[in-house]
Amino acid sequence: MRLKLISCEIVFREMCHLLAEAEHRVDVEFLPKGLHDIGASSMRKRLQQAIDGVEAPEYDAILLGYGLCGMGLAGLVTRHIPLVVPRAHDCITLFLGSKQRYADYFADHSGVYFRTTGWLERAENMNQLQQFSIQSKSGMGMSYPELVEKYGQENADYLWEQIGDFVRNYRQLTFIEMGVEQNGRFEQQARAEAGERDWKFEKLRGDLGLLRRLVNAQWDPEDFLVVKPGEKIVVRYDDSIIAAEPAS
Amino acid sequence: MADLQQLYEAVLNGDAKSAVAVTKEALAGNVDPMTLVTKFMVPAMDEVGRRFECEEYFVPELLLAARAMKGSLELIRPLLTASGAEPTGRVVIGTVKGDLHDIGKNLVGSLLEGGGFEVTDLGADVSPERFVEAIRAHNADFICLSALLTVTMPAMKNVIETLKSSGVRDQVKVLVGGAPVTREYAAQIGADGYAENASAAVHLARSLLQPAA
Repeated sequence: MRLKLISCEIVFREMCHLLAEAEHRVDVEFLPKGLHDIGASSMRKRLQQAIDGVEAPEYDAILLGYGLCGMGLAGLVTRHIPLVVPRAHDCITLFLGSKQRYADYFADHSGVYFRTTGWLERAENMNQLQQFSIQSKSGMGMSYPELVEKYGQENADYLWEQIGDFVRNYRQLTFIEMGVEQNGRFEQQARAEAGERDWKFEKLRGDLGLLRRLVNAQWDPEDFLVVKPGEKIVVRYDDSIIAAEPAS
Repeated sequence: MADLQQLYEAVLNGDAKSAVAVTKEALAGNVDPMTLVTKFMVPAMDEVGRRFECEEYFVPELLLAARAMKGSLELIRPLLTASGAEPTGRVVIGTVKGDLHDIGKNLVGSLLEGGGFEVTDLGADVSPERFVEAIRAHNADFICLSALLTVTMPAMKNVIETLKSSGVRDQVKVLVGGAPVTREYAAQIGADGYAENASAAVHLARSLLQPAA
C-alpha cells in the first residue's frame, strides 16, 4: 500500500519514529501545530486544501494525524480515495493510545494541561499562526504591556484579570512520555513549567498503539473512521465522536 | 444639571469613572433612573455591540464598556428596585461540569449584566444539580451554559436532562455557547438558543424574553 499522511506536527517525533518502521510506504506532510486556534472553519479549509492537494492516483488512502480538534475536522470531504481518521476528540487520545483511556483520565483530571515533546520543542511554531488565531483576532491575544499601552494602566489591570490567562483554572501539568525522547530534558522542562505555575506534576506513560495502527493500515471501526470518496466527516456527540455521510 | 450625553459616551468608550460620576450627578439632580438606563446606557451598549459585530470593537472594548455600564447600574439598581422595577431578566450562567474554561463565559456574563440582566455566575466545572439549585434560588428566566471542549459538550445535554427530571425545564430558556458549540448541536440537545459571541448572546436573550403580560 501507498499511504499519504497529513499530520499535525504535535506528533512529529512519534510519527517519524513509527514511519521508519511502518509496514507500508507512507509519505507525510506535517502542518503547523495549533491550527485549532484559528477557528474550526479556518482549520477545516487548511486541512481540506492539504487533502485536495494529494495526488490521488498515487495513493491508496489519506491518513489524518488529527483528532476532531474543536470541530476542525467537521465537514472535511474526500473526493477520490478513502480518508482515514482516528476517533479522537484531540491529540491527547493520540498520545494515550485510546479514547477510553483519555475519557477515564479526563473524568478525574479536568484541570490538567498536557505536555509532550511536540509542545515543548515546537511551541514557537505557534507564532506563524498567531495573527490568525481567534484570540488575536478578538483582541484577547495581547500581552500585559500591550494592554497598558493601548488602554492605560487601570484598564489594563482589569482586562488582564479578565482575559489574561487562559489556563488560570488549571491545576496540574501532565507530561506524557512517549518513548521517543532521547533523554530526560523534556521531562525536566515540563517539571520546571509545572513548578513555575505552582501546579502538580504528573508523568504518564503514553501509548503509540493507536498511531501505529493508523500508519500500518489496521483500521478497526471502533478506533478509526474510514471516509469513502464522496463522503464528508460529521460529528457524533457520543463515543464514536465522528461519522461519515454523503457529501452531496 | 448633568450632561446625560456624557453617560452615553462614557459607556461607549468604556470609561467607568466618568460613567459613575455622571450617574451620581444625574441622580443627585433627580433625573429619573429609568431614563438613564433606557435612553442612554442601553443605547450605548447597543452601539458597542454594533461596533463589535463590524469589528471596530474587540473583546477588550466590550469588557470595558460592560464594566462602565455595571458601575452605573450599581448606583441605579437600588433605586429601580425600590420603585418596584424588575431587571430585564434573571440569568444563571456557568461552564459545564469537567470544563474549567471561563473567559468566554465571564464575557457573556458581563455583557448580560451590562444589558440590564441580573446575572448569577456559578463559575466553571458546574454540576447539573448546582444549575437546578441556582434556578430555584434566583427564580431564573435563563440558564447559559458554556463549554470549550468537544469532550465536555455532552455535559450540556446532561444539564438539560437534569432540568427536565427536576421539573424546572419549562421555567427557563436554555442558551448555549462556546468555541466548539454549534447551532446544530443546540437544536439537537433541545436548547432554546445558541449565540456565536457575547454580543449576540445579549440580543438572543432579549429576543427570547416573554412579552410582559
